[in-house]
Amino acid sequence: MTSQPEAPHPQPVDPSTEQSLSIWFFVGVLMLGCGLIIFGQGIYEFSHPGTTVLANLHPAFWWGMLMTLFGAFYTIHFRPGKG
Amino acid sequence: MHFVPISAVMMLATAQLTHLAPIDIAILLLYFAMVIFIGFYVKGSTNTSEQFFLAGREMSAWIAGLSFVSANLGSLELMGWAGAAYQYGILATHWYWIGAIPAMLFLGIVMMPFYYISKTHSVPGYLQLRFGEGARALSGVSFAFMTVLMSGVNMYSMALVMKVVLGWNINFSMWVGAVTVAIYVMLGGLRSAIINEVLQFVLIWAGAALIPILGLIEAGGWTSLKAQIIARMGDPAYMHMWSTTGSYSSNPMGVNWTGLVFGLGFVISFGYWTTDFLVVQRVLSANNLRAARLAPIIGSAFKMFVPFFVILPGLLALVLLKDSAGHLIQLYPEGSDMVVHHGMHSFNEVLPLMMVRYLGPGLLGLGITALIAGFMSGMAGNVSAFSTVWTYDIYGAYINKKASDSHYVSMGRWSTIVGMAVSVVTAYLVMHAASIMDYVQELFSFFIAPLFGTVILGMLWKRASKAGGFWGLLCGTASSIAMWLMVLHDKANIRFMILQPHATADTIMRVQAMAANLYRALWSWCICVVVTIVVSYMTQPKTEAELTGLVYGSTVIPHDGSTNIFEKPIFWAVVIATILFLLNLWLW
Repeated sequence: MTSQPEAPHPQPVDPSTEQSLSIWFFVGVLMLGCGLIIFGQGIYEFSHPGTTVLANLHPAFWWGMLMTLFGAFYTIHFRPGKG
Repeated sequence: MHFVPISAVMMLATAQLTHLAPIDIAILLLYFAMVIFIGFYVKGSTNTSEQFFLAGREMSAWIAGLSFVSANLGSLELMGWAGAAYQYGILATHWYWIGAIPAMLFLGIVMMPFYYISKTHSVPGYLQLRFGEGARALSGVSFAFMTVLMSGVNMYSMALVMKVVLGWNINFSMWVGAVTVAIYVMLGGLRSAIINEVLQFVLIWAGAALIPILGLIEAGGWTSLKAQIIARMGDPAYMHMWSTTGSYSSNPMGVNWTGLVFGLGFVISFGYWTTDFLVVQRVLSANNLRAARLAPIIGSAFKMFVPFFVILPGLLALVLLKDSAGHLIQLYPEGSDMVVHHGMHSFNEVLPLMMVRYLGPGLLGLGITALIAGFMSGMAGNVSAFSTVWTYDIYGAYINKKASDSHYVSMGRWSTIVGMAVSVVTAYLVMHAASIMDYVQELFSFFIAPLFGTVILGMLWKRASKAGGFWGLLCGTASSIAMWLMVLHDKANIRFMILQPHATADTIMRVQAMAANLYRALWSWCICVVVTIVVSYMTQPKTEAELTGLVYGSTVIPHDGSTNIFEKPIFWAVVIATILFLLNLWLW
């Protein structure tokens, strides 16, 4: 390895679709999981208001919903076996 | 990079800021389970050295680009720069804009073709092809040494932050972080590190973006925030990026525009973003030349908006961070009497304090997970780069030149474990002597500016000779260390670096450590370039054939496959440069 070995020809593929589980699928699952947990907490806070500043705006509910939608889209769009 | 002013992060805070609810722990566990799973999942596709060290060169422009910018988005950076924004105002944004974007665009448009066409595995590897073994050995050994130390600093910082914010045991945090990172990098190499960096990137945006949104709502919008900050500080300089940089004494950082443009915008930024293998390695994993050129450009677009959730929280804290009685909380410099003896909060605590202010259960868990992911990603980035440079540029070059490919993969896995072990030792050393952290962070600045001088001359100047490259790099590095020692010995010596030998004591006092770094980098780069040019003219140049694929003028850059203007990297580089210009004009 003193002089650098010839690298194999790069594959013109995107690993997000090449492997059975794509990178974007992992992103989707993580966001979906976190989003659902936070969304659930947001619903709970309608009856048990939080103590943080601006808790009256229900950030957990709205942010959790946004993350859930984002995560669900990526999970479904890049699910294993699709395409 | 970026000389984060976070020495001994929150070392002396007395009580934990908050605690996690079960729902927060659930989010944290979900993240840990996923990264461990990814390590085992990816292991099956990392059987060759190309796959292990360069992720098979299969990454799309988006993945390589997000990973490229994420490798720099460590939690040490986020917390340090939020604190710097509180301390210096909007001037801190320079480190994200002129201190990053032009260099990233330059990497994509000018330098990437040479890295990519030469098929090098690393930046020291490029130096070997261009300047021979001397330059590679100097750069490879110093880089390997620095990366394991930086990994240790990240590890200790994470443990310390978790202790201060959540009251967690330092040993527990360090070992959990170290073992998790060792597992997923050892199993999946760069591929695993890249996937986790993309996850970290998304987590940081999701976990941190809510703070400036809620902060702006509470402040009554941007215009109202500006007015409140200027009223509180009594100095409009806090909200101007350029108009107060005409002299050292008219802005809170004590910096002049020449230092920002030439020291930060040119030498430091170009040095870091175009020659630090930790970030360049991510782009080398791209699956074709166009993707390799687009990746840094995509990264720069995201980088441009990072100040939204790093700098803005620091600014918001100036007028919104209040105690339960409604009084503004004043933060103090790290290590100051107010922090050490009176238990007050330091600048570096501003981001966790803002998180606690706005984020309730669930959202707080997301924010803390993002911080932990940032620290772990920092460790993983350093360890995966160390493993590559060790295996290719030290072990494979000087110790065992003719081993099989599978042997080098095994060496890569083992060196990951050894790298993590050294990092743990470093972390414990830092625990017992906090000043080591400052020195380790300074180490990067010694090497990065001269290295940029060597690489850029190597790529753009055919006449640069083997001896010129080596001696330029060595002299540049030595001069940087000498300047640092000179200022360490007596801060008044800084007057020579800013070319004001008769500067008043007040001017010297106002020049902050960050500003001093800009000038040290600039001079060490100049010395490297001058020595390289002089020595090159005194020695034999390389032949035209030897320079093919390595130097501008001796290399035919292949067409990158763009079929229309929207596929051309240069088009997007111009778009981003225009937006950057307009943003600077807006905040002038």
